[in-house]
Amino acid sequence: MQSEMKIDMPAQHKKMSLKAIVRDAGIGIALLVLILIFSITTEHFLAPNNITNILTQITINLILAVGLTFVILIAGIDLSVGSVLAFACVVAGKVITIEGLDANTAIFLAVIASLLAGTLCGLLNGLISAYWGLPSFIITLGMLNIARGGALHISEAQTIYSFPEQFNDFGSASLFGIPVVFLVALLLVGIAGFVLHKTVFGRMIYGIGNNEEAVRLAGHPVFWYKVMAYTICGLMAGIAGIVYMARLNISSPIAGIGFELNAIAAVIIGGTSLMGGRGSVYGTLLGAFIIGVLANGLILLGLNDFMRQMITGVVIIVAVVLDHYREKMTTGS
Amino acid sequence: MTMLKNIGSLMLIASLCSGVAYAEEKPVVGLIMKSLANEFFRDMLEGTKEHEKSRGDYVLKAVGMQNETDFQSQINAVENFITQEVDIIVVAPADSRAMIRPLKKAIEAGIVVINFDVSLDADAKKKQNLELAFVGPDNRSGAKLAGVALANKLGAGGKVVIIEGNPGADNAIERKKGFMDAIEEHDLELLASSTAHWETEEANSVFSNMLTANPDIQGVMAANDSMAIGVIKALEAAGRAKDIQVVAFDNIPAVGPMLADGRLLATVDQFGRDMAANAIEKGLAVHRGGPELSGWIKTDIKLVEASK
Repeated sequence: MQSEMKIDMPAQHKKMSLKAIVRDAGIGIALLVLILIFSITTEHFLAPNNITNILTQITINLILAVGLTFVILIAGIDLSVGSVLAFACVVAGKVITIEGLDANTAIFLAVIASLLAGTLCGLLNGLISAYWGLPSFIITLGMLNIARGGALHISEAQTIYSFPEQFNDFGSASLFGIPVVFLVALLLVGIAGFVLHKTVFGRMIYGIGNNEEAVRLAGHPVFWYKVMAYTICGLMAGIAGIVYMARLNISSPIAGIGFELNAIAAVIIGGTSLMGGRGSVYGTLLGAFIIGVLANGLILLGLNDFMRQMITGVVIIVAVVLDHYREKMTTGS
Repeated sequence: MTMLKNIGSLMLIASLCSGVAYAEEKPVVGLIMKSLANEFFRDMLEGTKEHEKSRGDYVLKAVGMQNETDFQSQINAVENFITQEVDIIVVAPADSRAMIRPLKKAIEAGIVVINFDVSLDADAKKKQNLELAFVGPDNRSGAKLAGVALANKLGAGGKVVIIEGNPGADNAIERKKGFMDAIEEHDLELLASSTAHWETEEANSVFSNMLTANPDIQGVMAANDSMAIGVIKALEAAGRAKDIQVVAFDNIPAVGPMLADGRLLATVDQFGRDMAANAIEKGLAVHRGGPELSGWIKTDIKLVEASK
């Protein structure tokens, strides 16, 4: 059994990523269709400024979704990312506005504080759900409240503002029209892709999602791999918290309400299975694009709020249903 | 150490005594607010606590909600206050219809009820035979003040967009009406109107996209300051901060710098900090046998304009 596992897994993994490519191409086609529709029906969709806007607008969702990809691949879920974003954001806001620090030190400490706050929340999510084998749905729902309450408590429900100029500049900086914050997100996608596809840890993440018991029997420390997945997810929420601050130049304790749902949608639209073991972070990238392009294009079309919300819902469902059929086709062949 | 202990126990006794005294003499006021996660209500709670301390002739029991639309727990709070036999209930309803039945029960139980911040629905009140005065600001005329300030800056024909609050929320609806009043009276042109659910990040995205679709926007009316912050960031990102004017509502501290340098043209202060305290004053007067209140007792609103 044990030796079988060891020989089997890399091979299985290779086949999986081939399939994943087919799947991702499918999502890519859906994205192209959306882009085509909006290019024809609206005047400004392909304008350079609008593309910059779209990239800025998907950044936070993409960062959260990258973290969630790890958790969903092990068949878990993290509902707390939106609240953890707010918590990290408020902690960093408190640090960056400490009187008497010079700007660079304040920024450095704020970034560290945000990442630590996010990592800590993720670590707790992982330790508690993995140690007792409890459903992550309910543990992270608890964390959703803890982090939100913590953010409100620390900030006394006040918006924190007036940050150093160079920090604010970073949030609105761009390179050849590409927002720097988006480049950060893209870098995170690249790193996550490398970790998931090229490292033992990554293979184990897929393995746990496919057959946790088999990985355990093969002698791998499943517990720690799971904890790591949640911790990475928390870290990403911490990064998203700093990006939120840099982009809007405020820390708000009510930031990120409901962001977890958009991030989960990006992961699932991107072809990652809620049952775990199947999917990729590149799919997540495309999923985040689909949600962002849709939100942007529907406003350019001038549709009212309620119509936009309905259409977004329809697209999410259609994307997942199509993915189901594509998956069936690829397994059949 | 023993000294400390003695002081501690003295304080304990003192507080116990005063607790008894409260229960016998001072009227108990149950304050029901909306979300304490909202800066506006948080500040209001602080203001009310100060008021309780400075007056010293009533006991305050305050309850806040999980979020803006959590009217279920407001109903529970009213029921709990009836059971606790408080003397006065002061309530900012999360839903202008759902709260009518429980409040009617409270009045029947002999409690003085004061409705503030958001008015209960007039038709629903009539249907259920409830007579209840409203103490609060006129969101509509407040928003109109801001809208007119924008109109005066732009002149007739100015092209504007509205960033709305939560769909269905009473103050969101009233503020939009106020903006529309200003638009109609001063012949502005409304290019688009969308919700950003009171939230900075969403306002930033929604407005960026509106600006792409309508590059000729000249003015923005945001239903609260948090959303105006998102709008102003979007204007800076697009390099349009100089030629597009923004007005908003609430006057939270975070917009102070933006009013100082003119990035925000104007906002509206409705003195939220004193609003619950004012309502409690009214309630105490009725409780002491003063005349019953009726109609709409309007509280102060003020336009706060950029200093540049």
